This record gives sequence, structure tokens and C-alpha cells, in this order.
Amino acid sequence: MNRRKMLSLLGVSPAMLAGARLEAQKSKKTGKTASAGTGKIVALNPKGNPPPIQLVPMAKRLDTLDGKTIYLVSDGFPGAGHFLNQVALWFKKNMPSVTTIYRLKAGQFADDDPKLNAEIKANGNAVIMAIGH
Amino acid sequence: MVTVAFKDLALSNAAQRGMPHERICFTPHPVWGKTDEEMYAYLEGNDPVSGKPLMKEVIGALTNPLTAEESKTGEVSVSTGPKTFADTEDNLQQYYIDNGMTDFMQIVLPTEERVEAMLKGTSHKPDEVVGKMAPARGSYPEWSYTVKQVAINAVMAGAKPEYFPTILAMAASGVTALSSSTNSFAVAAIINGPIRDKLNMNYGIGAMGPFAQPNAAIGRAWTILSRNLSNSGIPGQTYLGTLGNGVNYNNLILPENEQASPWAPFHVQKGFAATENVVSLFVGFSIAQGQGGIGLGVKPVPQYHQAIAYNCTPFGPLFGALVVMDPLVAQGLVELGFKTKEQLADWLQKNQTISAKDARSTLFANRWVPDPNTPDDARIPYYQKPDWYNFVVVGGQTNPYHMVGNLSYRVSVSIDQWA
Repeated sequence: MNRRKMLSLLGVSPAMLAGARLEAQKSKKTGKTASAGTGKIVALNPKGNPPPIQLVPMAKRLDTLDGKTIYLVSDGFPGAGHFLNQVALWFKKNMPSVTTIYRLKAGQFADDDPKLNAEIKANGNAVIMAIGH
Repeated sequence: MVTVAFKDLALSNAAQRGMPHERICFTPHPVWGKTDEEMYAYLEGNDPVSGKPLMKEVIGALTNPLTAEESKTGEVSVSTGPKTFADTEDNLQQYYIDNGMTDFMQIVLPTEERVEAMLKGTSHKPDEVVGKMAPARGSYPEWSYTVKQVAINAVMAGAKPEYFPTILAMAASGVTALSSSTNSFAVAAIINGPIRDKLNMNYGIGAMGPFAQPNAAIGRAWTILSRNLSNSGIPGQTYLGTLGNGVNYNNLILPENEQASPWAPFHVQKGFAATENVVSLFVGFSIAQGQGGIGLGVKPVPQYHQAIAYNCTPFGPLFGALVVMDPLVAQGLVELGFKTKEQLADWLQKNQTISAKDARSTLFANRWVPDPNTPDDARIPYYQKPDWYNFVVVGGQTNPYHMVGNLSYRVSVSIDQWA
């Protein structure tokens, strides 16, 4: 699935903002459309209520990475730490002026780590986070 | 940087958390099990999504100025479609299936009349908010839902109005039946109290099988409502289980055979009165039969406790043990001296151990053996606390069998509160 289609399903594209709705979706296999209206049977939508999305402006980017400190953060999935070691090695070989610092995020995969966030804000210029295994 | 297997998850989750244009670079999948050289080659290669050099993409993500879209603030509402769909029965059945609103089997179409009938199964108002649920708590935004929305899903699963308070209690727990994990999790629900008989639930022969309408429909409702009320179960986005799990069709529904059990019912262990109706929920890996357990051939009373400990040896420490046993097994354990479930849990916690050497070879080395000075021959308990072992007595006494599930207790919810 491409990003445009994904975002359209999540209600963040201009199309969704303009009111594109589920009733317009065609059945993938039959090509038929179930629409609100005058069909033989009227059945109810079983979906729950998603919260609204609060858009978060992204952090300002750096002009250059030269002389900067990049934190390499693993969320704890197996293999992520080893992978980030290779990212550190890549910077050492290809952009030696960049300092990399590896950290394992505390808690479960999805938990926030306020202590680490504070450390990065105080000492770092950028973050690369590794997710996956 | 995200491995490409999680592309849809990463993009959709970033958008739901307010950064629809988050700069995500993708590596080939997996990194787990790859050598340093193989992983370095990933970095020297292309991003499999963009087709461009990966590290050039990474540097660009950190240094290219933000676009106007990336700097946006504000609130965006999310639509889940119209309140009703209208068409012929066949078309509607296919529509619900094709749009992922079922378990990919036909449903009872949720007409207004059927939903009204379901709502008669509770005293709660249709617009009352029941709870919140997410495909994995903390990892995805939680969706909320009302009594009526739960009723729509209960109708779809083939439930009767008298089942509705139990289904509402499960919904109120916020525990999804379709966890997003790559591990293909299963869930279980122990049901205790007089409601088991009132609903004619099967806790005898074949209790976990497809042999009773309340067991089947209540279990199916849990899956369907999880899908629709929390956005769980979208492969690639909110469901990543690599193998999938057949148990997810209607889950492990375990009405305890309280009449034949020599022990206190599960809900009484959790502080409820025996006369209360309660559903207790578990999450974890699936369940397996226990025929190969050491000690089961010992006469006159098989060493059930040893067999249970043996059968739990493949478990990791992330989830506890839920042992489902026939009343004959429970009675045998009493003869062996385990007068309560707690005594059995204490014995297992002390005696089910793994060597530090073996523990270090598992995925859970840091969790099991955090101290590097621990000698290799030290014995490590699988679980630090006895209450990570839970037991439920179920079955028809045709054979002294047990099954073991690597499942953790989550919560117990009063069914009576939702009547």
C-alpha cells in the first residue's frame, strides 16, 4: 500500500478532509458498491470511534551533519542493536566528523523513555531510531 | 529506520499519531539473524521502498528542510463511514467480508431490529461508552465504543441477547482478541458463576470445541468486536502475526467446571464472590496438549504436577502459564497433596527451572539472567512469582488430560455490572 492510499484511509488526505467515505469503497472482489440509500436491507456500521488526529509539526532539520552528534536508538527488537552498530560504523567510515551514541530505549517496545529523551535534547543534534527485527 | 516488513504499520501508525509525513527510511527485512557484513551491505544498498541509496535517504531525512505539509498543526477527524449500508442480503454479506468487518465468514446482518433486540439484554443505555481498545495498548490510538456499537458486533457474531452482558464485559476490558504482535497471539476467557448454567454454556465434554452456541458466539463476538471497535486485525498495519492463529476465530472460551472441580473457582481466587458472574481474560501464545509430559505413566496416581512443569518448558518468560485441566487431573493433584491451586502454583514456581547456560542461549537472556556473574549451572525459575501460574478446571472427565498455554492473566470483569 502506498503512502497516499494509506493516508487517505486514515483521514489525513485532502480527499478524506473533503468527506470521502467508506460507502464509496467498492467491494474488492465483486466490484459492487454498498451505499446508504434504498437497498432491500439496511444494516448498521459496526465500527467504533477513532480519536481525532492531532497533527504534530516535525522538528526543524539540521543544515549539515558535519560535527554533529546523532543518537542511534533501538526500541529493543532483536537485531536492532547490532544493526545500529553497523550504522555507527558507516558514519565512522563515510562521515567521520559525525559522533554517534548508541542507546537502548527503556521499557517495552512502545513505551516512552522520558529520561533518554531529555538526554538526547541536552546532548544530541539528531536521532535515528531503529524499528523492526 | 524501519525494516520493510513493517512498512504499512510504520506509515499508518505515524499518520495516526499526527505525523503523516514522518521521514521513514526502510531497510531490507530482517536484521535479526544477519551477520555484521550482511547488515552493512543493507546500508550500502538501496532503500527497498524508494529504490534510492539508503544512507543518502537517511542523511536527507535529517537535513532536507521541512515542507509546509510537514510543519502543519491542527486536528483531523477520522471517518469510519456512514451509519448504515443498504443493499441485497448477498451483496451486504460480501461487502462486510470484503471490507474486513468480519472473520471472513458470513455474519448475521446487523439490522436495526436485531440490534434493538440485542440491546434488551442489558439495562445500560445504547449511547453509554463501554470502553477503549487498541490493537496493542500504547502502540496505537485507542478507539472508543458505545453499548449500541458492541450490540451491532454481537448480532454479527450470532449472539443471543442473554449473552450480551458477557460480551459487554469483554468489550469493557479493553483487551483485544487480535493483538498486533508478530507472534500470532491467542486470547482466552475464563467464565465463572451461575451464568454458565443460565446460558447453557458447555464446560463438560468438548468444552473448548464447537459444541455449544454460547461458547461459540461469545468467543466469535470477541474477535469481531476487536476488529471493528478497535481497528485490530488489519494485516500489515494493525496485525503482524507471521503465522496467524486459528484460535482467533472464536478464541479459548473456558467456562470453568466449578461443580466437578475440587478447588476454588478462578474468580474466587481473584476476590469475587462465588455467586458473582465474572469473565477473566488472558493474552499470550497459544495452547498445546500435554500428553507427552514426564510422569503421566506413573501408577497409581500420575505425577500431573511434574507433567505440567515439563510441558511448560518451551515457554519464555514474557507470558505466564495457563493450565487447562480436566476435573480428573485436578482430583488427582489433590490426591498428590495439592489441596489448592495456590499450592500447585508454589510448587511449579520453585521446581520449573532452567539452567543459566540454557537461559543465556534463549531470546530472553537479559530477562532471565541479568547478572553476568551467575554461574552456568545455576537454576533459574521460569517465573519470579507463583501467580504467573494459573489454572482452570474444564472438561467432561472422559480422560485425565491437561493442556498448557503460554498465556498471561490480564483482568477480571464483572458480567453482572453489564446485565
